[in-house]
Amino acid sequence: MIQPQTHLNVADNSGARELMCIRIIGASNRRYAHIGDVIVAVIKEAVPNTPLERSEVIRAVIVRTCKELRRDNGMIIRYDDNAAVVIDHEGNPKGTRVFGAIARELRQLNFTKIVSLAPEVL
Amino acid sequence: MRLEKCWFCSSTVYPGHGIQFVRNDAKIFRFCRSKCHKNFKMKRNPRKVKWTKAYRRLHGKDMTQDSTFEFERKRNRPERYDRNLAENTLKAIKKIDKIRVAREERHHKLRMKGKKAKEQKEAAIELEQGIHLVKAPSVLAQDQSLTLPKIKVKVQAQAEENQAMEE
Repeated sequence: MIQPQTHLNVADNSGARELMCIRIIGASNRRYAHIGDVIVAVIKEAVPNTPLERSEVIRAVIVRTCKELRRDNGMIIRYDDNAAVVIDHEGNPKGTRVFGAIARELRQLNFTKIVSLAPEVL
Repeated sequence: MRLEKCWFCSSTVYPGHGIQFVRNDAKIFRFCRSKCHKNFKMKRNPRKVKWTKAYRRLHGKDMTQDSTFEFERKRNRPERYDRNLAENTLKAIKKIDKIRVAREERHHKLRMKGKKAKEQKEAAIELEQGIHLVKAPSVLAQDQSLTLPKIKVKVQAQAEENQAMEE
């Protein structure tokens, strides 16, 4: 359940450390974003000397949420934190590595690059 | 479909039941119901919570070492389907389960040995010590007839106990 003003961790090495959601892409009046949704976010904290800087507006895809994710087979999965991966407008990740476990739903949503970079797909 | 074990209470998690929690280091914790999930969130140690399998095993309440436990194991190698093998396995499951239940029963019986005698002994002692709550000691001293029940009760309790011992 990611909505504008939600802070998220960054699960890649793009250079951003913390994001804040400012808009959810996909519908005009949508309230919450879940795993696999693209959001517009602002960088709240960044690693020094990296291409991405603080207060820059970027797009990101949500890869983990504290709110449970329910699959069609009845499985319910909950993660430790809210995390996103910084992407460009084509959906390719800006970083070269992805950290932590990632939901399998991203593969169906054509984020195959992120899935292949992930150390663990659950 | 795989039947997993609950991380907290070690019961079986059937498909579509419970919840999975994935820690950031990708360790999966499976829970059979919200009770176990909540207890996990409260950071309780299953070894210290009395109703869990972990506690019961640790404190010798349940059978821990038995050859029947060897059969139920997680195997990551997929088995090639063989009709005869599947048939035999299904037969064996029933039989092994029966044996395990019987052994567990025996274990429980052995563990409870001497419980009844102990309980009766304790009850007799309590009766002896607490008879003044039923009849005041002064009344017992005044009226000799009233002291009789006390003696009678005491004798009865002891007689019962003796009988139990004989059995």
